[in-house]
Formats: sequence, C-alpha cells, structure tokens
Amino acid sequence: MTRSRPIRVALAGNPNAGKSTVFNALTGAHQHVGNWPGKTVEKKEGFFTHRGLKVEVVDLPGTYSLSAYSPEERIAQAFITEEHPDVVVNVVDASNLERNLYLTAQLLEIGAPMIIVLNVFDVAEQLGYRIDIERFARLVGVPVLKAVASKGVGIDALREAIFQIAETPESAIPAPTLHYDHEIERAVRQLTDALADLPDLQGYRPRWLAVKLIEGDAQARRVVSQSPQAAAVLALADRLLDKLHRVYGEDVDIALADARYGFVRGLTRQVLTRPQQPPRTFSDRIDQIVTHRWLGIPLFLFLMYVVFNLVQNVAAPFMDWIDALISGPVTGWTLVGLHALHAPGWLVSLVVDGAIAGVGSVLVFVPSLMVMFFALAFMEDSGYLARAAFVMDKAMAFLGLNGRAFIPMILGFGCNVPAVYATRTIEHRSARILTGLLIPFMSCSARLPVYVVFGMALFGSRAGLVVWGLYVVGVVVAALAGWALARWAFPDVRKSVFVLELPRYRWPTPRGLWLHTWEHTEEFVRKAGTVILGIALLLWLLLNMPWGVQNPADSYFGKVSQAVAPLFRPAGFGTWQAAGSLISGFVAKEVVISTMSQIYIGEEEARQPTPASRDPWADARDTLVGLGQASLDAGKAFLDALTPGISLFPHAEDTSNQTALSRALRGAFTPLSALAFLVYVLLYTPCVATVAAQAQEYGWRWAVVSVGLGLSVAWALATGVFQIGRLLGVG
Amino acid sequence: MATLENKRLPLSQLAPGQEGVIVAIRSHGPLRRRLLEMGLVRGEPIFVERVAPLGDPVEYVVKGSHLSLRRRDAADIIVELNEPEAAHDA
Repeated sequence: MTRSRPIRVALAGNPNAGKSTVFNALTGAHQHVGNWPGKTVEKKEGFFTHRGLKVEVVDLPGTYSLSAYSPEERIAQAFITEEHPDVVVNVVDASNLERNLYLTAQLLEIGAPMIIVLNVFDVAEQLGYRIDIERFARLVGVPVLKAVASKGVGIDALREAIFQIAETPESAIPAPTLHYDHEIERAVRQLTDALADLPDLQGYRPRWLAVKLIEGDAQARRVVSQSPQAAAVLALADRLLDKLHRVYGEDVDIALADARYGFVRGLTRQVLTRPQQPPRTFSDRIDQIVTHRWLGIPLFLFLMYVVFNLVQNVAAPFMDWIDALISGPVTGWTLVGLHALHAPGWLVSLVVDGAIAGVGSVLVFVPSLMVMFFALAFMEDSGYLARAAFVMDKAMAFLGLNGRAFIPMILGFGCNVPAVYATRTIEHRSARILTGLLIPFMSCSARLPVYVVFGMALFGSRAGLVVWGLYVVGVVVAALAGWALARWAFPDVRKSVFVLELPRYRWPTPRGLWLHTWEHTEEFVRKAGTVILGIALLLWLLLNMPWGVQNPADSYFGKVSQAVAPLFRPAGFGTWQAAGSLISGFVAKEVVISTMSQIYIGEEEARQPTPASRDPWADARDTLVGLGQASLDAGKAFLDALTPGISLFPHAEDTSNQTALSRALRGAFTPLSALAFLVYVLLYTPCVATVAAQAQEYGWRWAVVSVGLGLSVAWALATGVFQIGRLLGVG
Repeated sequence: MATLENKRLPLSQLAPGQEGVIVAIRSHGPLRRRLLEMGLVRGEPIFVERVAPLGDPVEYVVKGSHLSLRRRDAADIIVELNEPEAAHDA
C-alpha cells in the first residue's frame, strides 16, 4: 500500500511524563510552536521522515485524565476523537506507572490505534522496578515500547512502530478490557446498544460515547445530538444517569475513577514487580534541602537573585551591543543607501527615526528574553519550579494567587516583558491574567533612570530614599490591587484548585532548553514585535506632522500633549512638556528622560554623520569587537551573578553629566510635583512592549484593561501625593 | 485501644511521617476531579512527606508520586490512620 498523505501522530501523556522530550527527540528542529485555535493553550507541531514517508506529530497538552473540564483536557480529547490521528502515542513515566496509567486507561477506551511508550525507563530500573513489556502489550492489545527519550534511546524503534501501525492500524486497536461497577456497567451496555443503532456516529466507538454520556461529558453529548435519532438516546442516558445517582449519590464520578484505577491496579499487578521498600532516591535527598523548613525560603530567594542577575546583567552587554549596532552601522549604511537613491527627507526620517529605531526597540529585548526563557525552562524542566511554588505558595495565597505567581512578579523588577511571558507557568487562566495585571506595578529597571535623574536634580541627599520608597510603593500597590482584584474581579481565582505535582528531579536536555528558548523568543519578535514597531511608527508620525515642524510644540505630538496636560494639573505637573514626555514614555520608560532633554533644553539631535565618512571595514571590525566585548562582559556578569555580594570584576560607575537637564527640571518642578510625577511614572503603563506581550498572552481586552488600570491608579496616587503634600504645606 | 471510629480524621490533621488510607472525599467540583485523576481514591494509602516552610501547603505521597495540597483542601479528605507498626506487644 502506498500512502499519498502523511502519517499523523498525536502525543498524549501526563505533565512531567517527558512528552516534550519524546516530541523533541522525534522531530528535532522540525517543529513549530503556536496556539490551539481560539485558545491560549500552546500547540506544538513537528514532523520527521521515516522510510521516505512524512510523519506529522502533534504534541497534545499534558493532562492527568481525559474529560471536558479544563481547556487542556478538552483539546486533547477532541483532537484524538475528532481529528482521528493515525496513531496515538501515549507517553508514560515508567517510574510512576500507576498514576500515569489512569490516562492510559481512558485512552484505551477511545479505541484509537495506539502505542504506549514507557519513558524514563532508566529511572524505573534504578528504582528496582521490573516491567514485563510483552505481557503488558498482550494485556492491553497495543504495542508497548521502552524509551529514555532524553538520551535518544528507543526513539528509532518508536518511529518504526508508528510507521508499522499507520500501515496496519488493526494491529494496535486496544482490546476493550475495562469493566465498570455492576450498576454502571449495565447502564453503559444499555446505552452502547442504543447508540450502536444510531446511523451516524462519525467513527466514534459506541461504548466510549456511552461511558462519556454517563460521565456527563459535553463533547459526547454534542456528537450524539447531531444524529437524527438522538433525542431518544439522550433521554435514555438521562434516565440511566438519574438511576445511577440514586444508587451512588454524588459519587458516580468516584465509581468511574475507582473502576479505572481498579483496571490499572490489576494491570500493574501483572506487569510490574517492585521492591517492598522504595529506595531513597537522589531526588528525595535534594528535596530534603530545597524544601527544608529553614533552608527552603533562603535558597529560593538566592536562586531568584541569581536568575534576576542573569536576566539583568548577562543580557545587558548584548543589549548595548545591539543598540550600538543599530544606531551606528545599520543607521549609517541605511543613510548612505538612501542618500545614493536621492530619497526625500521625510522618507529618510521615516526609515531612520521611525522604522530602524522601532526595530531596534524590539530587538533590544531579545537578549534578556532569551536569558529569561532559558532560566525558566531550566527551572521547569529540572523540576525546581514546582518546588518554588510549593515553598512560596502561602505568601501568594494572600493575593488569592498561588506559589507559581511569585517568579513572574520578581522578574518584573528587571523587565515587565519577560515577566508577562513567565506567567505561562501558572496553570489557571484567571490566575495568569491577574498576575499579568499586577506585574506592571513592579518597578522595572527602565524606570530607574527617570528616578535617578529627578532624584539628583530635586532631592539631593535624599534621592536614595526616594528611589527606594518608589520600589516599595510599587510592591504595596501590587499587593493591594491583587487583593482587590481577586476579591471583586476574579472570584474564581480564590477558589481555583492548587494541587501540584512535585515531579522527580531530572537534568534538562540541552536540546529541550535551546528549543524552548529559541521558539519563545522568535514568537515574541514575530507577534509583539509587530505591535511595538507599529506604535513606534505612529509616534514618529505624530512628532513629524504636519511635515516640516521645527518646534515639537507645534507638531501633532505637541498638540496632543497640550490637550492631555490639563488632566495632570491636580497632580501638580499639568504642563505639555511633562505630558509629552509621559506619552513618549509609552515606547519605553527611559524615553521619558530623552524626551525631556529634547523639549526642555532643546538638545540638538547629534546624528547624520556625512554618509561618505562610513568605513565598511571599521564598521565590521567594531561590530565584531563589540560582540566579543559583550560576550566577555556577559561572562563576567554571569560569574558575578553566581557570587552575590562579591563583585569579581569591579567597574567604575560612569558619572553622566546631567547638569543642564537638572537645572531645567528644577525650574519646571517643585520637589512635591516631582514626587507626584515619579509616582505617576512608576505606576502608569510600563511600555508598549509590555502591552503587546499582555495582548499576546491574554488577548487585547485584558491588555486594554491593564492600560486603563495603570493610568487610573497612577493618576489617583499622583494626585493624592500632590494634594496631601500641599495640605501639609510641603509644596 | 482506640476504635476504628476514632481513627477517622481529616487528612490535614496528619503529621509528617504518618500514613492514612483514604475513606471519603468530600471535596466538590474541579478539586474533586483533580484529586481523583491524581490517584486519591478510596482505599488508597496516603503518606505525609513534609510541610512547606511557611506551614502550608503539605507534601503527600500517593501511588509513589509526590503532590502538594493546601491544608484547606486536605481537610475535605477523610482518612483512616495507619498506626506505624505500634503493635509490638503482639
């Protein structure tokens, strides 16, 4: 038989069963990450070729069971039953057989052609488990393979098995061996008979539909109701269910689960022999330290400090390098090119000040995002992230959140953008969104320059206290907002379930780490990057229209700023200059300062070196030398991050000369209005990149809510500071 | 000698190192379903591994896998205490 279409494979399994590792081992670099249509659940697809045939692999969301309750489970169940993949590969953690086989029992019930992969087989052997593979396969009626996906063991055999089963699917149709409790079994059989008479079941197994109807599954009901004679069958299902409820009370679901675990217990008894007393594993010993009563929290905080430093300092040299590359050679050579084409002035400005500057503001996030995704993937894949959530859960429970929300909040101090992406590790959507709404209140590093410049200009020796106070205000506002939002806007977050599996520790595979890092960074550039670029171009347009304006006050940007300015009068900074710098701060908070220098002291834009003066060799050399230097600096920063408190490579702080701006600021602000202004800078929308990230993760609606929340909280607090200060006579 | 009746108690009251057998799950909704799929069913032994540094949640071992439950949620799971081989007098 020759096939014209590729083989389609679905990977199903528990979270932490090593499903992604199997997926990576099968598909290598041929993979793509996206979202399931209309869902925020990640969808991974890839392919490989075996014996000249293309095999497409879909990595289903990791689930503990199959039902229609969580989005992940709905997706997994619907894909297998509606898309009819040629083969379902069930990845099972061999060292945790019983729990994993609960899902297997449900997959077997569906009746699709299936292969069971006993992954992390090496760990199972270390634990002294002996699994009778042949007997296993005979009992379930589908092929059973062993594998150590992280080392590539068993992957070739899996490829071959997939190929074989796609050719002869009959050989892998599971035998229906799961029987329920007496009453339930009778109801299931009665329903199965009734369903078997229905004309159009779209390839569903009547018995599976019967069980699912008893379970009250919405998908099964929908499938059945599409059949012409559905009404009678659904009525029968309701009658049977009523009867079962009289027998079991509320516990029909428990009886179903009992039967499945009964099946699993029977199966494991026949195929698995394990030592009486499980040996204390390396994993257990790590946990004795990591989750220790006294050591647990200091260790977690230390690790967070290291991660924070890595994201901040290791990425920084590369960010500077990208910055220099864009503003130097890239801009320069573009100018040379445009000059040669005799491009008009507006086009030069659009390309250089709009497009290239916009691309630069996207790329500049890439280094820190890569470091963050890497660190997060390492913590997640190794199993530490679950322990961090375990250790910190109670601290976050106050906000109605769970332990998993702590890490994104901490990362927010560095940069809100990676922090928003880090909320992916939070299981429930509402909790994810709530965390994402609080992150902007964490004072990111881009706000620090604004504090410092104002602090030096207006607060003298008390500048340090002001900066420190602003950080505290951010945390307090986040805590209060979290408490209020959880109470009124996200009541379901408080009720959300926090049952957390603490998986065995394992070494992450380099390939898994790299793929995770690369795919997510690429996704940021593709999705959020477009939005950021669009806003940068819009801002350019506002600043330069009507065409030919010399004084920013006369541009559309100036007009908008003037229109907005009165809103800030109650907060003490109702000038168009202040409003304008806040608007441009949308692009990035540190831009507030550069805008202020431009409009307060009319700083000449020192750019456009005469195009002819560019030397390609010097540019190439500088760029490479710069990259080398950046790598060196990053390496030093990496070592510094691992030895906190001791700087192995002390460096002199460069004292930038801000005197002209300082003088201007002293003229335009009083200490009180400056304080109100800083509070506003702290709390209003961090930047367009954060908004774009929020839109990508939670949808535009929530991104807009976040902007509204930031603007109103910032305005209220800044006004409060100014008015109370005036009453106290400070201003 | 304690009667069987006396030994039934909420899972949340077990101390680290103690083991119980699940006799009833009184939780509802998503929590109940999650507990079932994680292997917390009647007749299943459950061992208390440790308490988190801040006093909550608590780590348990069921079917050889480790999981964390908040005390509030563990209070709805009723277990029968397995005396740790105290019957030396036999």
